[in-house]
Amino acid sequence: MWYIWDLSILLSALSLVIMLFLIARRLLQERRATVAADQRRQLLAALIAFTENRDREALKATVLGVPAGVVIDAGFEFISLLRGEERDDVLVAFIECGLPDRVGRQLRKGNVAERIHAAEMLAALGSEDASASLLTALTQDRSREVRIAAAIALCDLGSLPLLGTALDFIGVAGQRSRRLIELFRRFPRSRFNELAVHASRVDASPFIRAAAIDALAHAGGFGFADFFASLAGDAAPEVVAAAVRALGLTGHAEAPAILKRAMANDDWDVRAAAAESAGRLGLPELAVPLSRLMDDEFWTVRYAAANALRSFGQPGERLLREIASAEVSRSQRTASLILAEGPAL
Amino acid sequence: MIADWSHEVVLAATILSWFIIGAGLAQTTIYLLQLVVAGYALSNRPPVARSALLWQRYGDVAPPIALLVPAYNEALNVVESVHSMLALEYPNFEVVVINDGSKDDTLQRLIDAFRLVKFQRPYEEALAHQPIRGLYSSPMTERLFVVDKENGGKADAQNAGINVCRAPLFCVIDGDSILEPDALMRAAQPFIDDPERTIAVGGTIRIANGSKIEAGRVREIHLPRRLLPLFQVVEYLRAFLMARLAWSSINTLMLVSGAFGMFRRAEVVVVGGFTKGSMGEDLDLVIKLHRHMRDKKRKYRIQFIPEPVCWTEAPETLSVLARQRSRWQRGALECFFRYRSMLFNPRYGRVGFLGFGHILIVDVLGPVAEVLGYILIPAFWLLGILSAEYLLAFTALIFTYGVCVSVCSLILEEAELQRFPRARDLAVLTVAAVIENFGYRQLNNFWRVKGWWQFLRGNQGWGEMTRTGLGGAGKK
Repeated sequence: MWYIWDLSILLSALSLVIMLFLIARRLLQERRATVAADQRRQLLAALIAFTENRDREALKATVLGVPAGVVIDAGFEFISLLRGEERDDVLVAFIECGLPDRVGRQLRKGNVAERIHAAEMLAALGSEDASASLLTALTQDRSREVRIAAAIALCDLGSLPLLGTALDFIGVAGQRSRRLIELFRRFPRSRFNELAVHASRVDASPFIRAAAIDALAHAGGFGFADFFASLAGDAAPEVVAAAVRALGLTGHAEAPAILKRAMANDDWDVRAAAAESAGRLGLPELAVPLSRLMDDEFWTVRYAAANALRSFGQPGERLLREIASAEVSRSQRTASLILAEGPAL
Repeated sequence: MIADWSHEVVLAATILSWFIIGAGLAQTTIYLLQLVVAGYALSNRPPVARSALLWQRYGDVAPPIALLVPAYNEALNVVESVHSMLALEYPNFEVVVINDGSKDDTLQRLIDAFRLVKFQRPYEEALAHQPIRGLYSSPMTERLFVVDKENGGKADAQNAGINVCRAPLFCVIDGDSILEPDALMRAAQPFIDDPERTIAVGGTIRIANGSKIEAGRVREIHLPRRLLPLFQVVEYLRAFLMARLAWSSINTLMLVSGAFGMFRRAEVVVVGGFTKGSMGEDLDLVIKLHRHMRDKKRKYRIQFIPEPVCWTEAPETLSVLARQRSRWQRGALECFFRYRSMLFNPRYGRVGFLGFGHILIVDVLGPVAEVLGYILIPAFWLLGILSAEYLLAFTALIFTYGVCVSVCSLILEEAELQRFPRARDLAVLTVAAVIENFGYRQLNNFWRVKGWWQFLRGNQGWGEMTRTGLGGAGKK
């Protein structure tokens, strides 16, 4: 049993030595932090002065005089506050100081958090070789978060490869991220068809398809209404729910019939989406199926149906009152609760 | 005859010693493995430095969150706490304060401060709880709701909050804790990165004793000035940075702290919410979630991420700390025996083997074996029944490996996170990490054995948790 004792002494001594080393390292860092704080102040002062006098040479002299790490950190924090011509001028100065190279190096060699930030900075800098660096990150980076950040940056620069190809690079695991919703929302109008193609691919993940439909509904408008109507009959409930919600935003001649069918769907999310859309579009002809949904086993569906009826104005409220004054049931309770919502009397 | 008898004694003592040393060895092996796994996980997941970046990156796709804050006799701090929660940096959240039948004027203070008015809000009666007396909203902010209900305990209040909230995610926090402004944004990150599989996320709890607190915010981080909370700083580092991070990285996390945890509402409702009357309602809920998801054969993640921080006040007196630790021990035992069918059950995979195995070794057997060891091993050695080898092995497992594990947790913190602002803090914590193994650890184990005894006797009391208040005001 001696080895238990020997090993414990060895490990404890080793841990204490490492800790002492880390304390010494921290002491050095504290000294460097003071210098870095001064340099940061110096840079910020120069940036503020630049916004007043537009003296690019003076700004470049300061930028070149402080370490690139400080410029990357404080400089980009500062430009996130600027807009328009002022921002563009600062970015030009940064590019002339060779900052894109440093950021590109960070995109290749930094840790995950640094690489994601570098992708965002390259999109802001928009230098000549930014797209090439980002494309390399999209195709080769080990982290899916970095690949997604690179895709978003490429989208901002107008250099994103075909959507299917980009998603292949992002990988299956990355295709579950809500960050893709942001990627889709940044898609230029000229490439909406790619989103539509992806939304209709039955082999793609329902989450991605739903995200594409959502982005099209918010930015594409009525032009995609027929497309949404066709997807309302899809096999994947997540896609149907997204299509039904999209119809609630765009409207469609066939919307009443489609929503009525959706209200009878086996999936509660689809039923809730149908009730919400009926309320948003103001379709009183759907009052009867909506009143049936108020007896649904899922509260979310009951609540959406009751809210939809309430949004119809007086006819809907009258129906709700009738249900509320009927025999005690799930519908009756839902109607009572909805009618009572608001400040207590 | 005497020789026969002494042979039996030696044999019995040897077996007992092997049991004690075996339990210590198993525990130490688990800790060392956790350190390795946690170190690997941390090095692969460096933190995002600035919260402004997170806002830019995730602000548009961040899901709505309801912050559930049970409050029982919190009149002294509740208004300040709610103000600080309303000022959190998150695009879409509501604060639901649940006044759990407080005997003081908690509700009235809220009514006065936020000009609350009674409000009707339809909600799903998905979970059972004590009757709600009224719902209140504020004309000053649409983010705040107050639920006034009859007293039913923390779990009961949280269940009422889950019923009333409408967001797909909810975050539970203690009424007297302080969330860092970006904590929600950081805790929501796994729900953004993997929304289909992530069902619960826990963040780090840190001890605020000694830090400078103003207007419900931790303005300056300092170490506690008293020894007892200082030891708890090291303990919390070990618990969060080592154990939880390690288990989380292999999806075996068994505990998301009730002081700060984020959950997907739908799954929590399906498993029946928090178990009322449980001593460890947070541990109980996470075990139920594991069981449900594995029974349904669904892919899921329960994660711990170190960046989001919630500050809490640690007990400063031995009597309060003793009550807290005995209660935690009872909570662990209660959950272990309630869900014992999951132990080493292949149906529950690594949760059954690693998660429950960990509870068995560290919480069920660990304290008993260690306290037995303090008494028996030196006694056997003094009586000449055991050789010095046994005594040294036991000493190594308790003291020297203890020092190693505590210091290594501190190494993880410093190498990857660097949240203590000064080098001097590190030096103080290193000393604390060494000396906590000589006295504090033994006390802790004594309290845990006391918890065992209370569990066997069916003692279900929470005990009084006396706090001085993070803002400085005293309360109970």
